[in-house]
Amino acid sequence: MTRLTRRLALAGATAIISSSLVMTASAQDDTIKIGVLHSLSGTMAISETTLKDTVEMLIDIQNEKGGLLGKQLEAVVVDPASDWPLFAEKARELLTVSEVDVIFGSWTSVSRKSALPVLEELNGLMFYPVQYEGEESSKNVFYTGAAPNQQAIPATDYFLEELGVEKFALLGTDYVYPRTTNNILESYLKDKGIAEEDIFVNYTPFGHSDWSKIVADVVALGADGKKVGVISTINGDANIGFYKELAAAGVSADDIPVVAFSVGEEELSGLDTTNLVGHLAAWNYFQSADTEANAEWVTAWKARMGDERVTNDPMEAHYVGFNMWVNAVEAAGTTDVDAVRTAMYGQEFPNLTGGTAVMLPNHHLTKPVLIGEIQDDGQFDIISQTEPVAGDAWTDFLPESAVLKSDWKDLGCGMYNTETSTCVQIQSNY
Amino acid sequence: MGLSLMRLVNAIVAVCLTVLALCVPSHAQAPTLQSLLQENAKDIERPSRRTVGEVIDGLLKSGAPEVVPFLIKWRDKNVWLNKDEGIFVFGPDERGDIEVTDIDTGVVLGTFSSRDLKQIKPNSGVRGVIDTALVEFQLLDDNIANRISAVDSIARDPEASQLEALRASIPDEPDADLKVRKERLERLLTIRYGATDEERVEAIKSFEGNTSIDVRAALNPLLVTRRQVAIELPEGQNIARRLNVGPEFTREEAYTLLVDADLAPPLIENQVRDNAIVANAVDGKVEGIELASLDTNTARDIAYAALVSAGKADPALTENELSALIDDHVFFETYAEKSMAVTSAATATLVSINRAVGLQRTADLALDALSLASIYFLAAIGLAITFGVMGVINMAHGEFIMMGAYTGYVVQQFIADKTISILVALPLAFIVTFGAGVAMERLVIRHLMHRPLETLLATFGISIALQQLAKNIFGTQARPLTAPGWLDGSLVFNDIVSISYIRIAIFVLAVIFFVLLLFILNRTRLGLEVRAVTQNPKMAASMGINPDRINMLTFGLGSGIAGIAGVAIGMFAQVTSELGANYIVQSFMTVVVGGVGNIFGTLAGAGMIGSLQKVIEFFNPSNTLAAQTYMIIFIIIFIQFRPKGIIALKGRAAGD
Repeated sequence: MTRLTRRLALAGATAIISSSLVMTASAQDDTIKIGVLHSLSGTMAISETTLKDTVEMLIDIQNEKGGLLGKQLEAVVVDPASDWPLFAEKARELLTVSEVDVIFGSWTSVSRKSALPVLEELNGLMFYPVQYEGEESSKNVFYTGAAPNQQAIPATDYFLEELGVEKFALLGTDYVYPRTTNNILESYLKDKGIAEEDIFVNYTPFGHSDWSKIVADVVALGADGKKVGVISTINGDANIGFYKELAAAGVSADDIPVVAFSVGEEELSGLDTTNLVGHLAAWNYFQSADTEANAEWVTAWKARMGDERVTNDPMEAHYVGFNMWVNAVEAAGTTDVDAVRTAMYGQEFPNLTGGTAVMLPNHHLTKPVLIGEIQDDGQFDIISQTEPVAGDAWTDFLPESAVLKSDWKDLGCGMYNTETSTCVQIQSNY
Repeated sequence: MGLSLMRLVNAIVAVCLTVLALCVPSHAQAPTLQSLLQENAKDIERPSRRTVGEVIDGLLKSGAPEVVPFLIKWRDKNVWLNKDEGIFVFGPDERGDIEVTDIDTGVVLGTFSSRDLKQIKPNSGVRGVIDTALVEFQLLDDNIANRISAVDSIARDPEASQLEALRASIPDEPDADLKVRKERLERLLTIRYGATDEERVEAIKSFEGNTSIDVRAALNPLLVTRRQVAIELPEGQNIARRLNVGPEFTREEAYTLLVDADLAPPLIENQVRDNAIVANAVDGKVEGIELASLDTNTARDIAYAALVSAGKADPALTENELSALIDDHVFFETYAEKSMAVTSAATATLVSINRAVGLQRTADLALDALSLASIYFLAAIGLAITFGVMGVINMAHGEFIMMGAYTGYVVQQFIADKTISILVALPLAFIVTFGAGVAMERLVIRHLMHRPLETLLATFGISIALQQLAKNIFGTQARPLTAPGWLDGSLVFNDIVSISYIRIAIFVLAVIFFVLLLFILNRTRLGLEVRAVTQNPKMAASMGINPDRINMLTFGLGSGIAGIAGVAIGMFAQVTSELGANYIVQSFMTVVVGGVGNIFGTLAGAGMIGSLQKVIEFFNPSNTLAAQTYMIIFIIIFIQFRPKGIIALKGRAAGD
């Protein structure tokens, strides 16, 4: 008797296992796989977990609409754990083991640069949703976040033109994005006639919390009667301590305005913003954008994730990127990377902030630049919105990259020297 | 049905008539505000700091009484544009359905969705210009808030025209504090725009030794100089000093000045020189010199000189000619400010100010160092007990700090009053982390006593596990731990020396725990037993002390204090799962540098690391990360010479 039941159980188990095997096999045929390469643990989890949830939500929405090419979409989520080399490993796993058709992923530039060689070797396709420093163009990556000319430069112009700032403090976290951005800004400011001694630069480590001296240094810059402004590329948690110290020092936005490139709704949700009212952030999206499409998106997000959750700029980048990819696949009739890439050029999709995003041959989008003032409820009041600006992979404000151009559609080259009319290199291993 | 329609039509006609009756007479007298705005519709809708001044002047010149209230509403984002009809209306700064009113008549026009209208949002630059325009109307306003806003606006963006209005408003100012501010502001404006030199000099002298930023901001622009060159020192200019060619003023700079003033021919640039050589090359030779040999700048200069002597290129200036030109001219710096009395008074006052600034900077740095030291001390003091006294390497110490911070956050979710919540959070954090410490001692550390390597690995593992646990419970976002309102802001001595109240509170907390621990260790039974057990557990046990129990309590005490430190640190920094990990290195450093096994050592260690960090930051303000690196290098060297730390235990207490 016992032997019999054991045998029965064994048989049952085998049946279940084999049937589930069959099911996964059949599921493989029926679904289009989408890789999600965002850190779910480690220091960047704070920002990237939200993006994983965003992609999953976009996939669910698309599946409700009936999927894509008659198939259902399926998310393959991996966790590169904020460990930069692991991004390359996980990208390889997604492309060779899970055989995904497209990857949505990465936040820090260093993680993107780590995944690039794998994507180019295996001809994968990745959508990168975060504002970054430019100076890069890969055939296999679509940059749906802002290039410097879509965030940093317009914000600096706003400081110069609208706020009349004459002296700049460039504060940043010590890694590739702030350093490259500040290099571009320094050279841009000098072009605009700001003297070298009127530019104060400071770099702090990730998670820095002792800000009193740096804030005092910034306040002291005003001693020669020039208007001081702060451009902050401080990333992650360190912002909280910085803004707390700023508030404690009573630095009002009317006296010393601070514009941040990496502080959004999500980061402010950990802060009491009453003392920060009026300080600025530059993005291509704010949750407070008053349009029908955005209202719908925010409602859907809150319904899925909870009322206290907020939306932010990289989420919109994924929203636009994902929908463009869906449309490109439909236009191409296949998920084949090269066909989809060709179909991507010229794709149009409405932004959540109004206007239309267009995918350019240099793999960047046209985006409006928004400048928002922090309000006491942790949201941003949009006080300036430009017409859509075309993203520029190679900045015009560094002499060595001013001559470079990226055009994958007609020139088939991401690093094209316009002076010598030659393609410097195809791969982006610089 | 028909009847009600008739009634409706009647009502509409009646409304139209009343509106007409209201509008028509004003139309006849002067243009309405609406029509004035329409003339500048583009600049009102998307105002820019550079152009808005003219628009406002135009509006004010019209003399319409509604202009000032309109400017206030415009500044406060209460103006909307009805895009369909192209008219401006008043409406609240809100989302959703809003009630809008007519700009001229104040009649309610109906309720609109905010999406169908466009809100006019002047940026802060434009708001500043509007404020400046409003100053003359608000300086004598009945509402003190408006008067303060007017004074703020002048202080931020002073203009010559405001001096008279400000002076006129001082005698009638009822509020004593504001009157003092106005008088001070009047002197600052006098420095810039005073009519006579005497009153300007007097105003400058009144700020002797005053280190305020706004005073320096008023004085420094007076002393801005410009380098100039002339044949002779000119009369009637306010000359700061003569420049002689030397290390501070190089020949190149002198030459550039001469070229800019058209007193010397421009330098032949290398590119121009090379082009000239190439253009004159015949058969691979230029003036008999092989082109192939021209691979250095000197060789090319010689070739170019040959071209010049052959009359084929513009002559370059020779060294002697250049020296003669420099000798023939005087170089000097002039002040932009015309009056010499003013500049010399400003120079004298600034000297006294800068002396005071130097002293106060040092004082501020010392305060910062003290504050950082107290934070390190608070973070490390628990470790001073578990590591210093017991000798347990507890890598999860940072996670106890984190636990304390999260306890503070959780308490604030239940108790809204921030003061009470912090008062509850402090002991509760102690209890929670005491419990966690005791549990960890019972379950892990007790079994690994005297095996430091295993303890290190085990506690490191626990540290990672606790971090992930915190992420799973509280999410990855930083959580707000808000200090009570009375800890907002800073204790301001002046514009240079100030310290935030929250840092003072942390300092006080650090002092309290220092005294409390000294008391527990030196004056209580528990302290006596702890010291006995750490010196010689076997002997202590034979005296009737239970070493097991004492170890457990000591570890709990150290962990509990870490929890309290967590509440304090969370209030001034960010509460995340990595909060503790950020402090663990500094904590160990503090204990080791100070001297293991001694509370005084921890104090000395924290003091040294805190002040060292600030001093290095002072010399290297552009890279805080580098400052930390230098500090660690210094500490490595320091430990080479004093391996037992600043305060080394001696004799039997040293345990070796």
